[in-house]
Amino acid sequence: MTDISNIPVPADSRQIIGRRARIINTIKEDLIRRLNLPYEPEDLHEDVSLLGSGLGLDSLDALEIVLCIENAFGIKVPDGDVSVLRSINTVVDFVLECQDGKGEPQ
Amino acid sequence: MRSPLLKDLLTAAGARFSERFDAEVVSAFSDPGTEAGAVRDAVGLTDMSHMRAFAMPEETGLDYLDALLAGNVPRIRFGRILHTFLADDDGMLAADCYVANNDEEIVFALESIRPDAEIDALLSLHGESCPATELTAGHAILGLDGFHAWDAVKTLFSADVLGLPYLSIENVEFEGEPVRLLRAGKTAEFGYLLIVPRAKADALFTALKAQVDRLGGRLCGVDAHDRLRLEGRFFNVFAEGQNVRDPLQLGLQWMIDLEEGNAFRGDEAIRRRREAGLKQKIVGLAAEPGSDTAVVGAPLFHGGTEVGSVVASGPSHVLDKPLALGLLPVELAYVGLGFQVGAANGPTLRSISMPPIIPRSLTIKLDEM
Repeated sequence: MTDISNIPVPADSRQIIGRRARIINTIKEDLIRRLNLPYEPEDLHEDVSLLGSGLGLDSLDALEIVLCIENAFGIKVPDGDVSVLRSINTVVDFVLECQDGKGEPQ
Repeated sequence: MRSPLLKDLLTAAGARFSERFDAEVVSAFSDPGTEAGAVRDAVGLTDMSHMRAFAMPEETGLDYLDALLAGNVPRIRFGRILHTFLADDDGMLAADCYVANNDEEIVFALESIRPDAEIDALLSLHGESCPATELTAGHAILGLDGFHAWDAVKTLFSADVLGLPYLSIENVEFEGEPVRLLRAGKTAEFGYLLIVPRAKADALFTALKAQVDRLGGRLCGVDAHDRLRLEGRFFNVFAEGQNVRDPLQLGLQWMIDLEEGNAFRGDEAIRRRREAGLKQKIVGLAAEPGSDTAVVGAPLFHGGTEVGSVVASGPSHVLDKPLALGLLPVELAYVGLGFQVGAANGPTLRSISMPPIIPRSLTIKLDEM
C-alpha cells in the first residue's frame, strides 16, 4: 500500500485537488440525498456512468441531477445537453468551466 | 480450451486467434484501430463466444444467483438485465456478469478471468441443487455494436427492437429458431448480444455480416473491444479487471447490493475492506499523441515519488492519443494532475475525466431511427 504522507505533493496539485474535492463532495451528497441512492459518498467513483450503465439513472433522475447542479452552483445546464451528465467527473468539469467563466452562467 | 462454434467461418473471414482464460477468441481480422473506428462510425460484428451463457428457470434461478452474485438479483424486472460480478471467497473479481429476467427463464452470461473449472466451482455448477443449463457449447454469442447497429437489428428482426432500453432482453426469431437478443453493449455505442442456437449460428452470422457490409462496417475482434471499452470507460474484466481484481478499487460499488444482510460469495471480505476504507482507486489518464509509454505495469510518479501504476492502456480512435487507467492513492485520484510514467523524470500522463468522448449514439433519438 502506498503511503503518501511523505510525498511532496506540489502546491499547484494541492490546489487542484482541493477545489475539485469540494465540488465532488457537494455533488455526491446532493445526488445521494435527492435520488435516495443506497451508497456512501466514497462508494461513488467519480467516473461511474450516471445514465444507462453504471448507476443506471433514468431521464427523471437526469432532471434531478440538473437541478442539483443548478441549485448548488448557481449555473445553468444547457437544455437537452446530456453529455455533461456522463459521469460525476464530467459534471465537475462543467462546473469548473462555468466558474472560470467559460461556461453558461444562470 | 473452448473454440468458437463458428471457427471455420471466422477463419475463412481472416480471423486471427488468441486465448483468453480457457477460451479461444478472435483477436482481430484486420487492424484493431480500424475495427474500433468502424464501431464508432458505423457498426462492427464480433464473435463473443468466449462468454459463457446459462439458462435456468426463474422460480429457482433468481435465488440461486442471488446467493452467488454481488448485485440485487431478485429485483431484476421482467425484460431487464442486471450488470454485476462474481467474486471469489476473498472478495476478488472472478467474472463480469449479466443476469437477464427473460419471461420464465433467467439468462446468465459471463466473461471470466479464471479457468472454466474454477468458475464452475465458484458457481457450484455441479451441485445437485444447481438449476442452470449451460448454453455455451450449443450456441454462438455474437456482438453487434456501433452507431448504426440499431439499423442492422431493425432490418433483420423488426422495428420493435428499437424500443429496447439499455440492459434489456427480448426473444426474437431468426429463420424459425429462437434467438435471445440482449441490448447490452460495452462500447458506449448501440450494442447487442445475440445468443443463437448452433443450427442457425452460421446463417445468422452471414445475415448480420451482410447488414454490416451494407452499413459500411467491419468484422471486429476482441482487441478492438478492449480499446472501445477503455475509450467509453466501460469496465473491462480482461484489462483493469484482471490487473486490479478488487471491485472497490475498480469503482464497481454500483454493481454491489451493499444493503446489510445481503449475502453473496465474497461479501464478507468486500465489506471488511469497505469498512477499513478505500486506499487506492483507478483514474483515467491520457498521454500525448504518438506516445507509447503508458504500458500496463509501468510505475507512476508524482512529486518525484512512485505512487501507483498503469493497469490498462490503449489508443483512442476518437481522440487520436493513448489512454490509460492508473491505480493511485485516493488522495491523488483527481482529474487535472500530471503523473510521470516509467521514472520520476519520465513523460507525463494527465489525469482526465472519463469517459473522455461523447459517443455518436448518444446524439441520435428514437424518432430519427
